This record gives sequence, C-alpha cells and structure tokens, in this order.
Amino acid sequence: MSPEPGRVVVDQVWKRFRKDRGRKLLRDHLTRAAHFGRSNGDDAWRWVLRDISFEVEPGDAMAIVGVNGSGKSTLLKIIAGVMFPHSGSVETTGRIGALLEVMSGIHPDLTGRENVQVYATLLGLSRKQVAEKFDQIVEFAEVEDAVDRQVKFYSSGMKMRIGFAIAAFLEPSILIVDEVLAVGDSSFQQKCLTRMSEVTKSGTTLLLVSHDLAAVAATAHKGVWLGDSRVEASGPIDEVLGKYRSAIEERAAAGASTGGPVTIRNVRVTGADNSLVSTNAPCTITLEVESDEEYNVNLYVGASEGPPTPIFVVRRELVLEAGRTTITLELPRIPLPAGKYFLWCGVFRVMSRIELAPWHPIASLPVVGRYRLDPTPGSIVRLSPVFVESNWTVERPVLDPVADGS
Amino acid sequence: MAVTDQLPDAPPPELRFRRGLAFTSSLPKLWESRHIIVNLGKRELRVRYNQAILGFGWAILTPVVMMVVISVFIKQASGIKVHSQGWPYPIFLYTGLLAWTFFSSAVSSAGGILVSNPLLNKVYAPREVFPLATIGTSGVDAGAATLVLAVLFVIYQRVPEPTIVWLPVLLLVLLAFTVGVGLVFAALTVYLRDLRQLLPLILQVGLFATPIIYPLSFIPSQWRALYITVNPVAEVIDGLRRTVLYGQAPNGRYLALAAASSTVVLVVGYALFKRMETGFADVS
Repeated sequence: MSPEPGRVVVDQVWKRFRKDRGRKLLRDHLTRAAHFGRSNGDDAWRWVLRDISFEVEPGDAMAIVGVNGSGKSTLLKIIAGVMFPHSGSVETTGRIGALLEVMSGIHPDLTGRENVQVYATLLGLSRKQVAEKFDQIVEFAEVEDAVDRQVKFYSSGMKMRIGFAIAAFLEPSILIVDEVLAVGDSSFQQKCLTRMSEVTKSGTTLLLVSHDLAAVAATAHKGVWLGDSRVEASGPIDEVLGKYRSAIEERAAAGASTGGPVTIRNVRVTGADNSLVSTNAPCTITLEVESDEEYNVNLYVGASEGPPTPIFVVRRELVLEAGRTTITLELPRIPLPAGKYFLWCGVFRVMSRIELAPWHPIASLPVVGRYRLDPTPGSIVRLSPVFVESNWTVERPVLDPVADGS
Repeated sequence: MAVTDQLPDAPPPELRFRRGLAFTSSLPKLWESRHIIVNLGKRELRVRYNQAILGFGWAILTPVVMMVVISVFIKQASGIKVHSQGWPYPIFLYTGLLAWTFFSSAVSSAGGILVSNPLLNKVYAPREVFPLATIGTSGVDAGAATLVLAVLFVIYQRVPEPTIVWLPVLLLVLLAFTVGVGLVFAALTVYLRDLRQLLPLILQVGLFATPIIYPLSFIPSQWRALYITVNPVAEVIDGLRRTVLYGQAPNGRYLALAAASSTVVLVVGYALFKRMETGFADVS
C-alpha cells in the first residue's frame, strides 16, 4: 500500500449485472435452476464495465463523463467500496467521502442536526470532529433555521445541500461526487464548485461525475470518458471533452432524420480568402436547401461545441421555393476561440412553427487562430466559450491621504 | 472513435475478483467499524421511538402482553401442569419470553435489514454492521424488558438465587446463536426474497417449539441432546430458570452442547455472510 493518501488505482475492472436484476423470488431461482443444464447462463448477464483502468494521483481532480447508462455511477460505487468488481481490482488510500446520490444516508425521520451527526460518523468522523465541523456544515448548507426540524419536512434543495455539505466538509482524502449539482439552484451550484476547487487545492483527490460539461471543464483537469461500458478516452480534460463532444455530435448527426420535407446539403465553410476560419475574422457559410414545395420559413444556423445547445444562433426569414435554393451566410466576425465546433441548422415554418428540417448538425467548424480564452479559477465556469475583445485601462491610485478619509 | 483494439467478451479468469474468507482481515475491519454499529443502532432507536408516544414502553409491552395472555388463557386452556419448583408461573414464563423475544426480534429485523436499505449503497462499511446494529437495538429493548422481571420479583417478594453468576455464560451463548442466525438470514434474504414471508412463520413456530410456556423436561429425554443442539435457545432458557430462579447450576452437558452449537452457527454464519457480501449491493 502506498502511504500517500488520496491515490486511486483502478486496474482492469469488469462488472456485470443480471439483466433481470431485482427479481429474487423463489420461483425465479427455480426457473434458473431448471434452465441450468441447457444454457451456460451467460446470456442473462450484461457487462456494464469492461476492462476499466486508470489512475488518479493525490490532489488530482478527475471527471468521468459519458452518456446515461455508460456505467459512471457503477464505477464510482466500486471506487467508493460499496460495490465489488467482478474482475480486476481497485485500490484507494485514505478516507473516502462519497456523495453517491442526493439524500444518501439521510434519514427523513431524524432532524437535520441528528442526521449530520449520524451521517458524519458513518463516513468516518469522530464525535469531536463532527462537533468542530457542525457549524461550518450547517452554515454552508444554509439550513440554520431548520436544523432541528425533521428532514422529511425539508425541501429537496435543502436535503441536497446538507448532503453535499457533510461530504465536502469531512476533509476526506478522496471526495466522490456523483451528479448532485443538478438539484441545487445556481447560487448553490456556484458554492459547490468553489468548495470543490478549494478541497482539491488542499490536496484532496476529487472524482466527479456530471453532465454539466462546462462545470466539468472548469473543475477537473483530468477526464475519463466512458462509452459503451469501456474507456473511450482518458487524459487531460480538454482532450477528453473534445472527443466526447464530437461523439455526441456524430451521434446526433446519425440520428437526424433526412427524410423531412426540407433537406440541407453541400455545406461549405470558409474563412477569409478561402482559408480556414479564424477567431475574430470573417466566415462564409454556403448551404443548399432542397424543398419539396414552397414554404414560408425561418432558417436557423448556429454553432455548438457538440451538444444541441448552441453558443450562438442566427435566423433568416425567407420563402423557400420548391427545388434547390443556395444560401450564403456571412458572419463578419466569428466570436469563437480556437477549437473544434459544429454547425447546426434547422428549418421551421413561420406561422405554425412546424419543423421542416430538425435542428441537427450539418458540418464541423474548426476555428484556428492565436486567440485563447483567458484562464479562470475553477469557481468561475464559462457556459460556453465566446471570444470577446477587451481593452483595459488601469489608473494608478492617487496617493492622497485626504481622499482616504482617515 | 478512440479505441480500436477489440475487447474480449469476458475478462480473463485470472483477473477474477476474489476475497478470501480470512477472519484475520475481516475481524479487524469490523472492530474499526464498531462506532458505525453504535451509531446505526442509536439512529434506529431514535427513529423508532422519537415519534412513538410510549417510547421504550413498546419494547416492554410485547413480552408483557405475551406473558399475560399466555398465563391467563393459554395455560388454562391447555391444562399444562408446570413444575416451576414453587416459583410463580408468570416469572417462570417471563424468563423464557425475555430470551425468546430478544432472539426473535433480533433475527427478524436482521433478516430484512439488507433489503432496500437506503445506506447499503451509499456508505462504505463492512456489511455486517447493519445486522449487528439492529441486533444491538434488540438487545437494548431486551434490557428494558428486563425491568419488568425486576418488578415481578418485587411483586412476588422473591430474590434471584446466587447462582445468577452463570448469567454471562448463558447470555454469551444466546448472543452467539442470535448473531449467527441473524447473519445467515440477513444474507440469504437478499437473494431469496421469499424468506421475508417465511421468517415470521419460522419464528412463530419457534415460540411454541421452544420450552418457553413449558419446561425443558417436556422434551423427551432421549431427544433432548439433539434438540438442544438444533435450538440452543432452549438450553439458554432452561439455564436461566435453573440459575436465576431455582439456585441450581446449569446442566453441564447440555450447556456445553449449546455453546458448541452456537459457536459453529456463529462462525459458519459469519463466513457465509462474508462470502455473499460482494453481491449485496448488486441486487438490493
């Protein structure tokens, strides 16, 4: 065992579940026993994790991303020690503070105070430590008034806050947070993010699962992308997120129907002088729209990092005639920093807003250039990357003792 | 996509995660988790009695009502002649009921503790802490119910015999057997949900099949040794009556049998529990 607390070594972990899990009646066992001779029973199992290996160094912040059902939560449970792998091994050093679900371990019939005490000791804190941390936890969770009320009368946000506060103030060597930020309001989310970057700074290893990619990018510096029950990519968070986003886009492109009344084809994207698109420079998008009859439409074109939520959208109202229409769109200044983006397009009728071509990705949009976004601390989360020119003026302080008021 | 190499359908067998049954590693871990057991037990008691008007009264009420019902109705109706060596029947009966109520409530709550337990998937701890904590709360209840026995002594103006020094030995045997059986049912119920329905029936049968209403001497003497091996609670109850009430030493041979049997049940139960532990979180 390494003496250094906070290390996580996941080595070739496999995990499978029964397809019909949950049913544990005597009849099911008898049926299974009756079938035992005929099949080897392998078809009743589904692999949810296959050959997962990665390492987290002490003090690292690692995010695990992936679509729903890709095994993220199962992996966290195995790391937290509440589940056991089928094959392979997980080694952790130091105390683990795990917030695996909202309301984890919070008992509705106990008061907030009793819950903090009981749950914190369950997670490994001594009585004395709990007493020391109690005020901090209550203050962070913003439940001062309700602390002697039964938790079943709490709002769901309060329950979540108290759960997060306990886990975050334990000072564990490893903090595991599974998709819990979704519940709190945005100001509490901000607090959670700040707290998480604080604990990583103090040397705690952070393992985080979230679908909020912006928060992930701001909080974590390493990432693992789980897709189809295996590690699709791992490494620095930006690389992993880049690959993950393009996969989302590819999946959306594959899923977009092409059989609608209006189709988009032959998309061309060029920067100034037919070169690549670069930040703060003009960009020309040409696309052909094929329509089966005449429509009065709104045409939307936007850019995104991969998911359907665009960074910006522009709209043009026009009359589409039957046949092919070539449309040229000029954007004099692309507000995107260098990176990989995707163009999305959708066509809707003006009055009824009926979808003629769904909102779908139509082309990739690589942006080059020397402009980079200014770095931010983990607690400042950009919703999406937008490049804005800025001019600063800093005036020296006037060294006049009278102006001080002292 | 990033990964191009082909994964096999199943992991190589040598990677299979196995955990040995080494008591040398699991027992120290259990010891480290002792405060978790205490806290879980406290929490259970708080939840149970915070909202109940009678509070701990409930723990006392069950054996007391049983005692009244049995001594007033069942004994009269069945016409059992109990040779209680000059002791009032309610005391004789209540001694047996105390031991049985502890065993029965401990086993039935341990049996269901791992099914749909909100903490099981959330907090890491050796899983036996959950049944052990709930068995502990049954112990606290039994302690409260013992007060009634003291009251009975006062009412009938009796005092326990000095042979009460045997009490710790008897309680240890009872505890070992209860924990062993509790662990077995806790583990099995996870995989075999029918046990939740079956367990109350088994315990109901046990109430009448164990010498509680009647003395151990009702069991034919040629079967008694075998019976005690299967159900050490019988010997514990008989031992309690001999030592606390009659001022006799327990039957050495039977006590040894019961102790041996309880130890085996405890060790096998714990081993079985640890063996099945790796799958609990997957199915409950």
